[in-house]
Amino acid sequence: MRRPVVLLFACLLAVLSGCRSGRENRIVIASKNFTEQIILAELLAQHIQARTGLAVEQRVNLGGTLICHQALLAGAVDLYVEYTGTALTVILDEETIGDPTAVYQQVKAEYIQRFDVEWMEPLGFENTFAIVVRGEDARRLKLKTISDVARYAPEWRAGFGYEFMARPDGFAGLAATYGLRFSRSPRTMELGLLYRALKEKQVDIVAGNSTDGVIAALDLVVLEDDRHYFPPYQAAAVVRRAALDRHPGLRGALDELAGLFSEEEMRRLNYAVDGQHRDVKDVVRDFRRAKGL
Amino acid sequence: MDNGVIQCHRVSYRLGDGRALVSDLSFTVGRGETLVLLGRSGSGKTTTLKLINRLLEPTAGEVWVEGRATTAWDPIRLRRRIGYVIQEVGLMPHLTVEENVGLVPRLEGWEPERVRTRVRELLNLMGLDPSEFARRWPHQLSGGQRQRVGVARALAADPPVLLLDEPFGALDPVTRAELQREFRRLQEQLQKTVVFVTHDVREALLLGTRIALVADGRLVAVHSPEEFLRAQEPEVAAFVSALRGWQEKITF
Amino acid sequence: MNVFDFLFRNRAEVLALTLEHLALVAAAMLIAVALGIPLGILVTRQQALRRWVLGIANIFQTVPSLALFGFLIPVPLLGGIGGRTAIVALVLYALLPIIRNTYVGISGVDPAVVEAARGMGMTDRQLLWQVEIPLALGVILAGIRVATVTSVGVATIAAAIGAGGLGTYIFRGLSMVNNQIILAGAIPAALLALLADFSLGWAERRLRVPR
Repeated sequence: MRRPVVLLFACLLAVLSGCRSGRENRIVIASKNFTEQIILAELLAQHIQARTGLAVEQRVNLGGTLICHQALLAGAVDLYVEYTGTALTVILDEETIGDPTAVYQQVKAEYIQRFDVEWMEPLGFENTFAIVVRGEDARRLKLKTISDVARYAPEWRAGFGYEFMARPDGFAGLAATYGLRFSRSPRTMELGLLYRALKEKQVDIVAGNSTDGVIAALDLVVLEDDRHYFPPYQAAAVVRRAALDRHPGLRGALDELAGLFSEEEMRRLNYAVDGQHRDVKDVVRDFRRAKGL
Repeated sequence: MDNGVIQCHRVSYRLGDGRALVSDLSFTVGRGETLVLLGRSGSGKTTTLKLINRLLEPTAGEVWVEGRATTAWDPIRLRRRIGYVIQEVGLMPHLTVEENVGLVPRLEGWEPERVRTRVRELLNLMGLDPSEFARRWPHQLSGGQRQRVGVARALAADPPVLLLDEPFGALDPVTRAELQREFRRLQEQLQKTVVFVTHDVREALLLGTRIALVADGRLVAVHSPEEFLRAQEPEVAAFVSALRGWQEKITF
Repeated sequence: MNVFDFLFRNRAEVLALTLEHLALVAAAMLIAVALGIPLGILVTRQQALRRWVLGIANIFQTVPSLALFGFLIPVPLLGGIGGRTAIVALVLYALLPIIRNTYVGISGVDPAVVEAARGMGMTDRQLLWQVEIPLALGVILAGIRVATVTSVGVATIAAAIGAGGLGTYIFRGLSMVNNQIILAGAIPAALLALLADFSLGWAERRLRVPR
């Protein structure tokens, strides 16, 4: 009778102690809930491990921007890849700025001051929201810019992720800026399902990522943001200052990634995982080797 | 074959595993007769009863009812011609007494007025005042009242044959004696062809025109009540001595 | 701003989402009942099928609901994203309680009543409709009640595959780490479940037959 109780107690202790085990030699990386983020987290993990020998843990698919941010502030994770425009409008809740460098400087300064978190050098590419329609519609209706779809909006159904619906730089502002009046409210769903919904004609227009790998493969067209509604979204790692101080080699390792790759290269990596269904670890390993890391 | 309403000719019923519940049974029940199937528990008497209304089919031999083998009858039509009373009664709990008694007439398509009249007639026959009992629910009745309704239900469509499986076994002795007397009276009045299963030898002697003693699935003997008391077969003697023993006990 | 402010201010959207949610559950339950009760009856008539039918229904129940939605996405005809897939998943989820309770309810009818009914010459159909189903109705309804209440909860996941409903708020609130929005979806959903439980429980009590 007593043995099961003792066993249960021992298990509980093991679990609890596991939670407390040395953060001294461990880095935790978070990623948001889409493929690019998962690839970038894996890249950071492999690189940090190779350069510093630190153990790295990943908290993958962590829901969304604010969840990652909260986790960072709480110290549950040490770093993740954020986008400057997102940090500006969603986290800092400030007005959009057009100039990429200005945005970067602002978020960098505010993050140090408010959160004790540092922005590393940009990785070299931007991932902005891509307003996407089917290729056949774009060709038939001669659609090139977001302004072009305004007249079709009343007949169309839109599809967005939950975050895009709620963000200040998301749906509300987009609709206002371009005069998009959809007669029915947009359908919301998991990000990964948006392109499928578009292909199956369940929706006619979606907001994806400009670096999504499958856009070309699915015969989808990205519309130009002619009114420059979206801010610049440069990708860079945001790291807790406490983590940088605790692990001296970390900063050096992360600096090596500055300006590492272009939008086109990110797109190719995304496609390898989303389109060709290759394993993330293999894709990242090949990429690092190609880049001589 | 003899001319009887019910005839069993070398009937056997064997289970899937080979066990025989009934072996090589032969007997006849004449019109207006009350044949009592008497036997100990597990002797095969209930099985025999169910072979008559085709709830079971013989694995050997034939059971004939009203001149036709049960297997040749449409089972539904056969059962509508046979009143069936079981120990647990089996009244429909979601129907009133009136609706229970009128079940078979309704199934037979009688007009509502005719059904109502018949129900009233039968309730009176069974000593239940219709104005009091017609609208009652089964769970509001005592054991004795329930079985009276059960018998009324079995008689409702005026079937020529009546099968009863230990109908009074679950009742207290006083109620049982009451119902036994009433049944005797009913039989004299209605002259139905009856097969009555029991393990109570006193009941058998009281109600049967003939008593068929069944043991281990075989028919041991068929006697009139008088013959029964004097019979030589050991199984019969066992029942009689049990009866005598009880009688001696109470005559202090 | 607290939850009730949010609910009031967005009442048009709240109402629309609630109706969407109800539509999903109602459609799924109608189909599940139409499929489940006959299957349950079939199993009482053909005992050999019992293990298969209950076994398969059980499998669908044990698959985690989010996974079930996910599995259905690539399936042709029934799958894809949106309301239709959600309804298919909800139906599969609701089948086990309904089939099982139908089977248990009918099997649980007093054997003496069934024997008396057979003995007096009821056909199988008469036995089913006039005796077994009326007497099993309370238990069957209990199964429908359980299935409905579960469906209201599982339907919140439908939002993940674009089927709408109150789950939309829950997912939105999760991604924005905003408890008000989460509750704005969770509270109406909980109220719907309670309402279903209460009203079906009332019907169940009315239809139960005293022995």
